[in-house]
Amino acid sequence: MRKLSIILFLVYLINSIVCNSIDNEVENKNVDRTIDITSQLVKISYKITLDHKSKKPINNYVFVAPIDDCNNLSFISARDANKKEIKLTQSKTLTECSYSMTLSAGSLPTIYIETVYAKVLQPYPTEIVQGDRQLIRYFGNAYFYSPYKTLAQKTIVHLASKSVESFTQLKPSSQSDTQISYGPYENIAPNSKYEIVIHYENNTPFMTITRLERTIEVSHWGNVAVEETIDIIHSGALLKGSFSRYDYQKDSRSGPASIKSYKTILPASASGVYYRDTNGNISTSAMRVLKDSVELDLRPRFPLFGGWRTHYTIGYNVPSFEYLFHKGENYMLKMRVIDHVFDDMVVDELITKVILPEGCKNIKLIAPYAVDRMTDTLHYTYLDITGRPVITFRKTNLVENHINDFNVKYQFSRIMMLQEPLLVVVFLYLFFLLVIIWMRLDFSIIKDREQHVHKD
Amino acid sequence: MVESPVKAKNVVPKKFVGISSLIIFSVLLVCWIAGFASRLFAVIRFESIIHEFDPWFNYRATAYMVQHGFYQFLNWFDERAWYPLGRIVGGTVYPGLMITSGGIHWFLHLLNIPVHIRDICVFLAPIFSGLTAISTYLLTKELWSPGAGLFAASFIAIVPGYISRSVAGSYDNEGIAIFALQFTYYLWVKSVKTGSIFWAASAALSYFYMVSAWGGYVFIINLIPLHVFVLLIMNRYSHRLFTSYTTFYILGLIFSMQIPFVGFQPIRTSEHMAASGVFVLLIAVALLKHLQTILTKQEFKKLFILGALAAAGLVFLTVVGLTMAGFIAPWSGRFYSLWDTGYAKIHIPIIASVSEHQPTTWFSFFFDLHILVCTFPVGLWYTIKKINDERVFVVLYAISAVYFAGVMVRLMLTLTPVVCILAGVAFSCLLEVFLKEDQPATAQKEEVETEEPEKEKKLYDKAGKIKPRKHESAKTENKGLGSNIKSMVVIAILMLLMMFAVHCTWVTSNAYSSPSIVLAFYNQGDGTRNILDDFREAYYWLSQNTADDARVMSWWDYGYQIAGMANRTTLVDNNTWNNSHIALVGKAMSSTEDKAYDIMTSLDVDYVLVIFGGVIGYSGDDINKFLWMVRIAEGEHPKDIRESDYFTERGEFRVDSEGAPALLNCLMYKLSYYRFGELKLDYRGPAGFDRTRNAVIGNKDFDLTYLEEAYTSEHWLVRIYRVKKPDEFNRPSLKPTKRALSDYATKKVSKRRKGVIKNRPVVVKGKRSTKAN
Repeated sequence: MRKLSIILFLVYLINSIVCNSIDNEVENKNVDRTIDITSQLVKISYKITLDHKSKKPINNYVFVAPIDDCNNLSFISARDANKKEIKLTQSKTLTECSYSMTLSAGSLPTIYIETVYAKVLQPYPTEIVQGDRQLIRYFGNAYFYSPYKTLAQKTIVHLASKSVESFTQLKPSSQSDTQISYGPYENIAPNSKYEIVIHYENNTPFMTITRLERTIEVSHWGNVAVEETIDIIHSGALLKGSFSRYDYQKDSRSGPASIKSYKTILPASASGVYYRDTNGNISTSAMRVLKDSVELDLRPRFPLFGGWRTHYTIGYNVPSFEYLFHKGENYMLKMRVIDHVFDDMVVDELITKVILPEGCKNIKLIAPYAVDRMTDTLHYTYLDITGRPVITFRKTNLVENHINDFNVKYQFSRIMMLQEPLLVVVFLYLFFLLVIIWMRLDFSIIKDREQHVHKD
Repeated sequence: MVESPVKAKNVVPKKFVGISSLIIFSVLLVCWIAGFASRLFAVIRFESIIHEFDPWFNYRATAYMVQHGFYQFLNWFDERAWYPLGRIVGGTVYPGLMITSGGIHWFLHLLNIPVHIRDICVFLAPIFSGLTAISTYLLTKELWSPGAGLFAASFIAIVPGYISRSVAGSYDNEGIAIFALQFTYYLWVKSVKTGSIFWAASAALSYFYMVSAWGGYVFIINLIPLHVFVLLIMNRYSHRLFTSYTTFYILGLIFSMQIPFVGFQPIRTSEHMAASGVFVLLIAVALLKHLQTILTKQEFKKLFILGALAAAGLVFLTVVGLTMAGFIAPWSGRFYSLWDTGYAKIHIPIIASVSEHQPTTWFSFFFDLHILVCTFPVGLWYTIKKINDERVFVVLYAISAVYFAGVMVRLMLTLTPVVCILAGVAFSCLLEVFLKEDQPATAQKEEVETEEPEKEKKLYDKAGKIKPRKHESAKTENKGLGSNIKSMVVIAILMLLMMFAVHCTWVTSNAYSSPSIVLAFYNQGDGTRNILDDFREAYYWLSQNTADDARVMSWWDYGYQIAGMANRTTLVDNNTWNNSHIALVGKAMSSTEDKAYDIMTSLDVDYVLVIFGGVIGYSGDDINKFLWMVRIAEGEHPKDIRESDYFTERGEFRVDSEGAPALLNCLMYKLSYYRFGELKLDYRGPAGFDRTRNAVIGNKDFDLTYLEEAYTSEHWLVRIYRVKKPDEFNRPSLKPTKRALSDYATKKVSKRRKGVIKNRPVVVKGKRSTKAN
C-alpha cells in the first residue's frame, strides 16, 4: 500500500512537471488538421502555426495524445517549417502521453506533425453477411486536442466512399463528396474534447499481420537471402453465416469487403522469388518486374473474409553488393527492418532475424527506432562448425512509415572465406585416402577367399 | 544407356578387369541417374510435393517422428484419426519407411545440412530406385552373368511398372520395399550358393528391413520356403541349403517379430505357416539323409515311409488343431482375395472398392512392361533350360509373381523386378549369340574368363554341376550365322530397346507423374497450362479457419489428406481398419439430411467435406464413388440402406430427373449439388449441367436445413459444409396451413396429462413434427 502511494505520488510529480513545462503564453494560432480514414489506418496530419502572447521565441512545444489514442498510435513524426525533422521526447502519464519537441531559435513557428493510428476504426455492425458492405465507425475529436489555447482551427476528414451513414454535426460542419469538414472553430480552450462519430462505408482491405518473421541471411559470396513468414487475419467485420461460392462467382462485386489479392513490393534486384505455405507452392501469384521494384500480385489460396486468416512464406534473394559494405575487415549491412507487404499495412508483431556469416565478431546493431533486442543465437547450416551468429530483434505495432533501414556493423576476417571450400577438400581427401587404404587391407581369414570377395 | 551393357560384354579380356569394373560402375551409375531423373517429371512440372493419399500419412508420421523422436513415435496415439476411436499409429504401421527417411534427415542435420523432411520424403523413392537397380544387378549376376545383370539394372531403372510406385513424391512403402525385396533375394541366392552363415544372416537382416517396410514381406517368407521345398522335391538337398535356410528362418523369424505391427503373427497366422513347415521338413530331410549314411537300404526304406507318413500326419494335425483352437489365425480376407478374385467383391466391399485391388488387364501388362513382357518368357526358358539351385528360385519367383500380378493390379510391382531380371537374361543371351562372331577370339576369352572364378570356387564349395554346359551350348549355337543376319538382328534388338526407353519415358511422363492433388489442364486455345489447386485451397482453408479440434467427416479416401494438409480430426481414413465406422459414414452420406444429422451429431461432426467434379468434369469425385458408400453401408446396416433404392427401375445410376428418389434426396447428393442448379457453366447450356455425368441434375431447388456451406473451392472441386449446432439451424418455414397444427400443441399436452391411450393420433403427429424439424 505504501509502495503504491509512493508510486502514485511520483506519477503525480512527473505529471505536474510535464504540465509545468507547458508555457501558458504559447497559443496555437492556426491549426489545419487532415484526418485520412480512407484505409484501415487513421492518418492525421497537422499544420500548426504557433504564436506567443508576449512575442518571445518559442523553445518548447508539447503535442499531447489522450491515453486511448496513445495505445493505438503507431507512428508520429514532426517537422518544422523547413521540413526538417524535429526530435520528439515521449513521456507517458495515466491520462495521456505527450511528445515534447525543442524548436530551434531561428525557425518560423510552424510545425507539421504526422500521426498514424492503427486499429482505431471499428466495423459496425461487427458481423456482416457475404454480400454486405463493410460499415466503419470512426471516433474522434472535433477539436484539436492540445494543452494550449487554439485560436482558429479547421478539420477535413477524407473518407473512403461517398456513402456516409451518419456523422456528428458540430456547426459549422458539412459533407461534400468524400469529405467532411469541421470548423473553422475559434478560441477553443486547452484540453477541450468533443467526440465525433463518423459511420461510413469502407471496403478497403482491413488486414492485420499478426506476426511477421523476417529472416535475412547474409552470405559473403555475394547473396543476401530474405524470407518472410507472415500470418494475416482479415480484421474487418466478421463474416456471418455461410460463404457461397456461387454468389461469389456470379457477381464480381459480391463480397465487397473480402480480399482477393494484394500487392507486395520487393526490391528491384530481387530474384528467385517464392511464395508458399505449409502445403507447398501457392500457384496463384503473378510477378512483374518494374524499373525500381518487383511487384508481386499475391492471391491467397482462398479469398479472405472477415475473421479468416492465412499464413504463408515469401522469400527472395538480392545481391549483397547493394546492401553489404566493407572497408578492410569492417563490414556494414544496411537493410530494411521491415519491408512492404501491402499498402496501408498494420503489423502487430515483427521479429527480424539477421543471420551473419560464420566467424563474425564485434556485432553492433543500429536501429532506426527503438526495438527490443533479443538474445543472440547460433544458426547452423551448410558446412558450419561453430555456427552463424543470429541477431534478433522485435517490435510491435508497426505501419508503413516504419519501413526504414537498420545497420549491423561487424568484423570479419576475409581468410575465413576459405574455411568452407577447404572443409570440402579435406573431407574428400580423407575419404579417398580411406578408400585407398581400405582396398589394400585384407581382412579375410582365408587368403584365397579374399580374391573371390573382390570379384564381386 | 541401354547400349552400354553391350559394350561391357565386348571388353572383358583378363587384363582389362579394371576397365570392366569401371564399365560396370559407370553403367550402374548411369542407371541410378537415369532412374532418378525419369522420376522427376512431377517435381519439374509441379513442385516438390507429396502425392496422392497414403504418402500423406507416411509423410505426416515421418514428420511426427522427426519432431518428437523415435520412441514417442512408437507410442504415438493419433487422436486426430478415427474419431472418436483414435488410432495407435506406432503399433499399426510398418515403420521402416519413416525410420529410413528420419535417419537420412538425422544424418544430414548432423552434418548441418538443413534439408526439410518433406524434400527427403519426396526424393526417397527415386534415390532408392538406384539402389534397387544395383541390387537387381547383383541378383542377376548371381543368377546368370554380369552382362545380364547390367541389362536387368538398366531395365528396372526405367520400367514403368516400378516407376508407377516410386516417382518423386510418391512416398510409400513400396518405394523402399522393392529394394529390400531384391536385396534379400540377392543375399538369399548368395547364401544358397555359398552355404555360408554370413550370407544367410545378411539375408535375414535384409528380410528384417523388408518386414519393417512393407506388408509384402509375406511374399518373401513364402517364396523362400517354396524354393527350399521345390529343391527338396527335385532332390537337390545339400548342406548349403540346410545351413542357409535354417539360419535365415530362425533369424528372420526373431527379427520379424521385433516389428510391433507384426508381433506374433509369424508364428500365429496361416500366411507364415509354410515357412515353419518347410523348416521342419528340411530338418527331417537332413535327419533322413544322415540316417541314410548310417542305416542299410532296407531299414532306411521302412523308416522313411513310416517316418514320412507319421511326420506329415503330425504336422497337418497340429496345424489344423492349432487353427481350430485359435492359436493360428486363419487366412485374412485380403489373402483370400488373392486366390479367389470374386471373394472380395462379395464379402469385403471395402477391399474391392480400391481400384488398385482390381484384377490386372492385359493392356496394363504391356503398358507397364512393354517389350520386357515378351522377352521375359525367353529368359525364363533359358533359365529352365540351364537350371541349377538358384535358378530354381528365379523360376518360382517368376511364376508366382505372374500369378499375383494377374490377380491384383497393385502386385504388378512384385512382377516387375523378376521380369527385368529374366528379360536381362534373354537380351544378354541373344546378344551373346549374335555379337560373338564379330570378335570370336575375345568373346570366347570372355566366356572362359567369366567361368574361371566359378571353377575355382567349386574347389571349395563342391557347387553346381551344370555350369560348364552353358559354355558348351553357347559355343555350339554360335556356328552358322551370317554376319548380315547378325548385324540386322543386333540392330533390331537395339531398336527394340530404344523403343522400350521411349515408351518408358512416355508412360512415366503421361501416366505416373501426376501428384493428383494438383491438377493441370491445358487451354485449348493458346495451349497455356492452368493449375487446379482446389484440394490444397480447401484443405488450407480448413487448417486456417476452423477450430483446431474441429472434426471433419468425409469419405475415407480423403482422410489422410485432411490429416496431412489440413491437420484436422477425421472420422475415417485410408487405413480402413474399422469397417463399421466407415459404414456409418457411408450411411450418413446416403441417408436423407435429417437422418444424417442424427448420425453426424452422434459422431460430433463439425464439418462435412465432399469432392464434387461436376463443374470441371473431374471423374474421381464422390458421386461417382457413391455406390461404394451405399454398398459398404448396406453391409453393416441392411435395414436402413439398400443399394437397389439408388438405382432407377431400369437399374441405372443417374443423377438427372429420372434418377431414383433415394439418390436425389440423400446427403451426398445435396452436398454435391447445393446451389449447383443455379449455375450456368456456359451461355447456351442449361443451368445445373453436370459435366462429369453429362446430365442436368434432377433435384435443383433445395435448401439445406442442418448444414450450411462453409467453403467451396474455386472450381467447386471441394465443398465444405458446417454442421449447425442444434440451437442454430433455422427451422424450415411452415406454410400457414400447417402452422395451424401448432395450435393443437396445448391439447396434446393436456391429453398426455390425462394419461389416455395415446396410440394413433399422437404418433402420427409426432412423425409429422419430427419431419418438420
